[in-house]
Amino acid sequence: MILFEFEGKKLLADAGIKVPASQLFNQSSELRALQYPVVLKAQVLSGKRADAGGIVVCDEISNFKFQISNLLGKIINKEKVEKVLVEEKVEIEKEYYLSLSYDTDSRSPILTFSEAGGTGIEEKEVQVYPVDPLSLKCAVAHPNDITEIVNKLVKLFFEQDMLLLEINPLVKTKDGWIALDAKIKLDDTAIGRHEAWKDYPPRSVAGYTPTKNEIEAKKIDENDYRGVAGSTYFDFDGDIAILASGGGASITAMDALLNAGGKPANFTEYSGNPPREKVEKLTKIVLDKPNLNGLWIVGALANFTDIYETLSGIIDALKKIEPNPKYPIVIRRAGPRDDEAFEMLKKVKEFDLHLYGEDTSIPASAEIIVKLAKEYAEKLGGNG
Amino acid sequence: MLILPDNPKLIGQGITGSEGSKALETMLSYGTKVVGGVTPGKGGTDVLGVPVFNSVKELSEKFGEIDATVIYVPPLFVKAAAVEALEAGIKFLLIFTEKVPTSDSAYIYALAQEKGANIIGPSSVGLINPAKKLKIGSIGGADPDRVFKEGNICIISKSGGMSSEIGLHLRNNGLGVSYALGIGGDRIAGTDFADFLMAVEDDPNTQASVIFGELGGTYEERVAEMVKAGKIKKPIVAFIAGEFTMTLPSEVQFGHAGAIIEGERGKPDHKRMVLKESGVLVVEDFDQIAGLLKKALQFKI
Repeated sequence: MILFEFEGKKLLADAGIKVPASQLFNQSSELRALQYPVVLKAQVLSGKRADAGGIVVCDEISNFKFQISNLLGKIINKEKVEKVLVEEKVEIEKEYYLSLSYDTDSRSPILTFSEAGGTGIEEKEVQVYPVDPLSLKCAVAHPNDITEIVNKLVKLFFEQDMLLLEINPLVKTKDGWIALDAKIKLDDTAIGRHEAWKDYPPRSVAGYTPTKNEIEAKKIDENDYRGVAGSTYFDFDGDIAILASGGGASITAMDALLNAGGKPANFTEYSGNPPREKVEKLTKIVLDKPNLNGLWIVGALANFTDIYETLSGIIDALKKIEPNPKYPIVIRRAGPRDDEAFEMLKKVKEFDLHLYGEDTSIPASAEIIVKLAKEYAEKLGGNG
Repeated sequence: MLILPDNPKLIGQGITGSEGSKALETMLSYGTKVVGGVTPGKGGTDVLGVPVFNSVKELSEKFGEIDATVIYVPPLFVKAAAVEALEAGIKFLLIFTEKVPTSDSAYIYALAQEKGANIIGPSSVGLINPAKKLKIGSIGGADPDRVFKEGNICIISKSGGMSSEIGLHLRNNGLGVSYALGIGGDRIAGTDFADFLMAVEDDPNTQASVIFGELGGTYEERVAEMVKAGKIKKPIVAFIAGEFTMTLPSEVQFGHAGAIIEGERGKPDHKRMVLKESGVLVVEDFDQIAGLLKKALQFKI
């Protein structure tokens, strides 16, 4: 989960790191207890908001109400501004860049530092320092008074299970170091040991407004920790609905469908042996759209996901959808209890099921669903 | 050592739980010996005839030096279980558990480096060697012979499902495996592709390898580096999934925790490009893997 700047700065302040005096607005009202000039900052998840007019300096009280009502509700990088953080403007001596993250090259946390903070950090020279997860030590030597804040940030990074803690800029002032911005990404897998995270309202990814189905699909796993179903879900414009299984197999299947000339209506996956009910819920969401010409149920040969239970969940959902889907349904599944699953499916007569096991590869079954969906669409077109 | 000795002394942590006991059953029926299990509070009991102890220490007092452990404890208990195994001197840990917090994985990896131990996983479906009847973890499910035939190809996959899918594809095309393993799709992989590829350089039963990679991270890129550096010489066929994700917003995670494009890093087309440049055989279509392997093996002979 990515935190908004105001949420991130609260974590920083709680950890003893200085941030500017501020007030948060979700509607236009008077500014209290802050000294002008102030900076109005749109609270969106995407970066580069300054270029999109998301950061405004206000010098005097007469302009404030006008400027804040301009910013609230504005669309910045496809995100609607719901909140504005107003901060006292800080006298900056020098700007730096500092971030903590995980690096797959060293398979460890790293600290990235630059003497040149501010926008366009991607093009600037940075130094990378390893962070030892055992001792929490990180050997940043310059500037010489940075050790204290680095130690606090490293401690916070681990304690709060962050995947990214980026401060750009981290500024030096006559009163010491101040974090002027905060981009924090929390590690969702650690939510079980962070009671406080449950208070963060749900959100999507930066610069993207989720669809209704995308929001609904995410809820399935939030309410039930057995296996995974719907944590990754995207809607597309195509006509073939997809229920894929397994992290690796699902993306292999998507690539195969596109290679075969098919147009997906969604991407999603379930895996890790989720219970029947979760798969039923996900199926209802996947099929909750008009103009579908096919459903492709696909996965690799499963190691431990129960094929009978998961496919039963799909059939449970199909039976409840009104009117009953008439489009072709191609199933390519194999793994534990697949014999029982196929026996069960053969008795299901109300749908146009096409059953394939391990002898038909994922790409081969992609060709089949694409062909059947095309024929179905042509037949409909011909009748109508 | 990533290559275990014959008939290793293997234990299981968390094998009394539901996924763990299911996996244990499939390991035993495959012919892999498990000397004991560890579940705090369940010492003195047994699971499928395997004696259970309260701690790794208690277990090693009875059985002496342990070669390997497979870990099936819940995600937030993995760190403690792995630390316990490492402190007890075990040098090979396979972590099946998924959704392990990244900070815990980083800690475990750093401690293993310090102790000279190897970690496979987290999120590893397991490791199998049909010639040695060795199966650690859930790989291949209850009937591994259906998927993994004895042979000379090593399969290394970020995806558990796709490791079996590749095994099946090879089998359907008359090929078999020396090793097959899931390295997990997490950000921190205790063993990455290159680590295991380098380990099987000296394995006389491995003639070539297949890797299943996907978007995210730099483990595929490291294979290219090691091939270029001459540290990996045996032929490799690579299949890299996730081309379609390039059209979606970045910072989205696709199934596996590490399957995420961050900035310019982790893009599947970049992985393909650097692998091709290094001489790795990159397939566009999954069904071409076996054909390319056969060609590579012929060329070699």
